[in-house]
Amino acid sequence: MNPPDYAGLARALLPEAALVLGALLVLGLDLLFFRKHSRESRLRSAVAIGALAVVAAIGLNLRVGDAGSVFGGVLVLDPLAVAARVGVLLLTLLTFGVATGTAPLRHPAEYIAIILFATVGFTLMAAAQQLLLVFLALELASLSLYVLVGFDHARPESAEAALKYFLFGGMSAAFLLFGFSLLYGLTGSIDLPAIGAVLAKHDPQPLLLVALTMVLVAFGFKAAAAPFHLWAPDAYQGAPTPSAALLASGSKLAGLTLFVRLLWPGLGSVAGHINPKYISPGWLPVVVLLAVASLLVGNFAALAQTNIRRLLAYSAIAHAGVMLVGVMIAGSAGFAPLFYYAATYGISTVGAFGVIAVLEGRGGCQRITDLAGLHRRSPLLAGCLLVFVLSLAGIPPLAGFFGKFYIFADALSIGGATGEIGGATGPVGRVAVLAILLSAVAFYYYLAVLKQALVAPPAEGAAPVRVPLAAALTLVVAAVLLVLLGLFPTVLINGF
Amino acid sequence: MSGLLFNFLAVFTVGCAAGVVLNRNSVASALCLLLSLVGVAGLFVQLDAFLLAVLLVFVYAGAVVALFLFIVMLLDAQGGERKKFKGATIVASSLAGLLLLLGVCSLQAHAQLPATVGVAALPVGATLRSYAELLFTTYLLPVEVVGFLLLTAMLGVIVLSKKFEGLEDGK
Repeated sequence: MNPPDYAGLARALLPEAALVLGALLVLGLDLLFFRKHSRESRLRSAVAIGALAVVAAIGLNLRVGDAGSVFGGVLVLDPLAVAARVGVLLLTLLTFGVATGTAPLRHPAEYIAIILFATVGFTLMAAAQQLLLVFLALELASLSLYVLVGFDHARPESAEAALKYFLFGGMSAAFLLFGFSLLYGLTGSIDLPAIGAVLAKHDPQPLLLVALTMVLVAFGFKAAAAPFHLWAPDAYQGAPTPSAALLASGSKLAGLTLFVRLLWPGLGSVAGHINPKYISPGWLPVVVLLAVASLLVGNFAALAQTNIRRLLAYSAIAHAGVMLVGVMIAGSAGFAPLFYYAATYGISTVGAFGVIAVLEGRGGCQRITDLAGLHRRSPLLAGCLLVFVLSLAGIPPLAGFFGKFYIFADALSIGGATGEIGGATGPVGRVAVLAILLSAVAFYYYLAVLKQALVAPPAEGAAPVRVPLAAALTLVVAAVLLVLLGLFPTVLINGF
Repeated sequence: MSGLLFNFLAVFTVGCAAGVVLNRNSVASALCLLLSLVGVAGLFVQLDAFLLAVLLVFVYAGAVVALFLFIVMLLDAQGGERKKFKGATIVASSLAGLLLLLGVCSLQAHAQLPATVGVAALPVGATLRSYAELLFTTYLLPVEVVGFLLLTAMLGVIVLSKKFEGLEDGK
């Protein structure tokens, strides 16, 4: 056996090292120097150090580049991993910007440090290729997110949201671990390439299907896909706004990267066929069901919401349905459409939560009607919200449109009549058509938000909103990113 | 003989695990957890993983459950009244249970479990040395990640549960 390549591992983990160092610095400096300062200044210094760490991590990640398999295949730094790492780091940076827009919570430094630890989990999730590391990275991220969701002592809803999220998350972690142990028992390996090789040689066994089901339950939870979505509206509503933004953006991008790597390179040989001409069992049929359920539940339940955060939660569920279509086509179309969609969705949802955060700090923003007259109270916020919501709805030329366009176009064209996903007349094509039809439903609730923000008159005595500089900068950067990525989508798409 | 022992230990472990959930008294639940862990340790012994069995008894049965017991007794949580399940919940859960039972039965009837897979098994009665070598070579990164997991958990517990009145800026 070759001696382990510690230097290679250390090099591949430089971005994570920068993040961890940043988190420890945030904690240490706050404890040593800033304890007597006001919460605002503690938050500002913590965010400054944290943002530096994230920027350093992005730089180191780009410098390490796609180094291939690391340390005997524990991690793999392929183009998808590099892109997803940059994506989650960027989304974390935007989340910090959102955090500067809110009224600071009780332990600002610890809050920022835990966000950094969650980001370490995300970046590891983006590159993990060994089941043990997959599970641990997922747990590191999840545990941090449970704490972040329950961070607000002042509001009982925050604790309720954290408890619900934790119970669901713990349950799904148990399912994932059970599925993984069955996979290990069936193949004798915890490395994804080895698992893929063993599975390709044998016919699928019933026990394997049990294992796949267990893994998909955990996937459904992580992606907030129906019917495993029940935690999402409560968590989004109760969590402090930056936590909700991170939950909806970075966590989702990392989770999708992890599971698409698990499902296609690892378990791709047991995907099964969903082409009506020759159906065979596997995980694809289950993902089709999850996608259809998410699209229907997300879009129709969002219509009935009066709370803006719950509306964003149900819209996240609907978007998860589209992302699942992206997962299904990733085997033949590659990861680029899915990554583009998840990344741009993350940016627009962080932006939307950023607008809510600023309003929350200045008088509260729970109901959609709280947005009334935003164009008078703060033209900047209203303009940014317009970009974010239109991108979520998928209006050209914003990035959200091209995300949907690439996924639907591939779903309708790839696979043909004989491929495993069946092309335009196959189930994936049908799901894509359903998703396109439901986009019309989605317009209604997105436009209802915009109507309040842009058309409705402000409430009596509503004062103009002053936007903190860092938050304003974040929102503008996010909006500009959405426009630029919409105008030049090939920058991301051809990056693979 | 080993088959008999396995079946006994399996039933014992699952029975005790059910006891953890079903007991009304939290102390009794914790003790059931202890017995269940001892059963799992017995299963490990059957697999010749002696070190793992000993560690399980030391760390989980010894330290963790003892901690549970302390906390339960300190908080004096005696369970109290439980809410009755609603009709819909009972129907749904019995349906799910039936489905699960059906799945297990059909698996038992139709599935052919692979007799052996190409597992490079650890040497029989793997020693502390071979475990340690694995932890510092193949599984180095997961071990490191567990370290940060525990750090995050500790940070979370302190922030979420400790009262800081008087220690802070008081704003």
